[in-house]
Amino acid sequence: MSSSKSRFLIISINHENVPLEQRERYAIDDDQVEAIYQPCDDSEFVTESLILNTCNRFELYICLNSDKNEEDALEILAKFYELNIAEIKEHARLFEGLDAVSHLIEVSAGLRSQIIGEVEIYGQVKNAYAYSYKRKSVGTVLNRIFQKGFQAVKLIRNSTQIGEGQVNISNVAVNLSTKIFGNLKGTSALILGTGEIGEKTAKALKSRGATHFGVASRTLSRAEEVAGEWGAVPIAMDQINEYLDKYDIVLASTIVEEPLITKKIAQKALSKRKGRPLFLIDLGMPRNIDQSCEDLDNVFLYNLDDLAAIAEENQTQRQRAVADSKAIANQKSEAIWANLVTRGQVQ
Amino acid sequence: MTFLGLEDLQWIRLATIVFAGTFFLGTYSALKLRRKTGRPYILSLVVFGWALQTFGLYARGLEYGGCPLANKFELVQFMVWSAIALYIFIGPAFRVSLLGVFTSAFATIFSILSLSVTSWDNLNRTPIFGDNPWIEMHAATALFSYGVFGILALTSAMYLIQSRNLKKKKIGGLFPYLPSIVELSNINMRLAWMGFAILSVSLGIGSFYWAKNLDSVDFVKLSATVIVWLAYGILAILRASQTLTSKRYSWSSIILFALALLSLGAVQDKEPKTLSTIVELDR
Repeated sequence: MSSSKSRFLIISINHENVPLEQRERYAIDDDQVEAIYQPCDDSEFVTESLILNTCNRFELYICLNSDKNEEDALEILAKFYELNIAEIKEHARLFEGLDAVSHLIEVSAGLRSQIIGEVEIYGQVKNAYAYSYKRKSVGTVLNRIFQKGFQAVKLIRNSTQIGEGQVNISNVAVNLSTKIFGNLKGTSALILGTGEIGEKTAKALKSRGATHFGVASRTLSRAEEVAGEWGAVPIAMDQINEYLDKYDIVLASTIVEEPLITKKIAQKALSKRKGRPLFLIDLGMPRNIDQSCEDLDNVFLYNLDDLAAIAEENQTQRQRAVADSKAIANQKSEAIWANLVTRGQVQ
Repeated sequence: MTFLGLEDLQWIRLATIVFAGTFFLGTYSALKLRRKTGRPYILSLVVFGWALQTFGLYARGLEYGGCPLANKFELVQFMVWSAIALYIFIGPAFRVSLLGVFTSAFATIFSILSLSVTSWDNLNRTPIFGDNPWIEMHAATALFSYGVFGILALTSAMYLIQSRNLKKKKIGGLFPYLPSIVELSNINMRLAWMGFAILSVSLGIGSFYWAKNLDSVDFVKLSATVIVWLAYGILAILRASQTLTSKRYSWSSIILFALALLSLGAVQDKEPKTLSTIVELDR
């Protein structure tokens, strides 16, 4: 690693400025990531490098000798992708110096994500840093920028509402479940229908501790097939009334002409539940659960519109937090950059 | 009587300010800043307020050489002190978000009330428990059970707020910070049994004394206490047998606590005559 002043650059190809069909050209797997690291390692003018590769984002964080410019960095990518520099320039956004530090913090805090405030990106950036650190591709400059950047991300997440509330239907439903049952460990869920949303919600419930699952389908054979995959109890749709009281959460997402669960059915199930609440989630269209069920004490019924409204409200809340978060990102990136300049590590 | 240079009422006023400050900090943080104040901060503030209140009650107790339970002001203060003690020593085990904030609100309201109605702090009182430690223990444990029932009323209110939020699909306000309704329901059940058990012990101690001093028994006082004891016992049994839903149980707990407080006032009005008799009997 060079001890002289470096230029810090980011070449970013991401969902913000490149449509999906173009981004596909730049999608790479882990082996290919390694294949980009290699020319950086071998290069005489690249002092440090780090690659962030997610489904929505390819970014090369790179430190160059001060006499080199972005064309030299782009050339490494051009060779790998077998494109010319002009083509890559057309899709890539370049950030340098202070702007690059600010960009890293904003990306890591989820401010640049498709779903504003999502937390997965932070883990992906940390993993990318850990990998680069392990293979000794990062040095004094990137180490400092990333470690201080992570501190800034924590500050943003702790002092703003950027990550508050869930913004997708499955997670909103799971979050509401925790407000009814608390710790979901030991809770049970019955999924009516074998569609994707049911599966996603079941997985989300399972990840939060729910242990017992039932899956109902029109035919027992289909229910058995899906139940096998999910580790659930198979139930034929016309028999759900017999099982309803055994489940805390019932998620319905099937196509029906008449509601599967009426007030009378819910009342009967409730009477056998020894005071435990019943959470009904209706994601079906037309509705699978009679709306009058919500009149019952200890029954909480949420339909697709209710969950979507909550998700939207959370999303709006996150949007409102973007300005505050960006202000923190700017302030912290200025401090990080000023420190690097003072130390004579960057120009 | 002063303690560490301050009068009893000065300590209690300071405690009230701390409780009020804790309540405002917690609610402002949750509703305006949309951020829950950490449990350690709230707990530390409540402990600080409780310590100030303890100094005040201790200073007051030095005047009699016993528990300060001679008038309505002191009864209310002791009940608040008990509720706060319960929150400090048992509350963390419940791990209920915002319980400290709600307890601070409870302490603030009752403390301000007892300080505002100056006639409650009758300085010409007769020492109501004389020098008999058993009857003093009876009164102290009875008031401690009222503290438990006070916390039960608070967690019941929290249950009703959260249940309403879920029913009305309102995810703003206190919703993100309040615990789940199942957790609150379980805590409510435990608190009812705990309060009932403590009040049973209190009545047991009292009856041991009354059996030896039948003339000292105040029928109104005894009836009111037994009715409160029975009512909470029945409430707990009805809930345990699932006859009462969590919602009705919560409403009942709040109403019953209000009635219990009213009965406390009625008992206190009768107190001086009876307890003077007790003092004379002891002599």
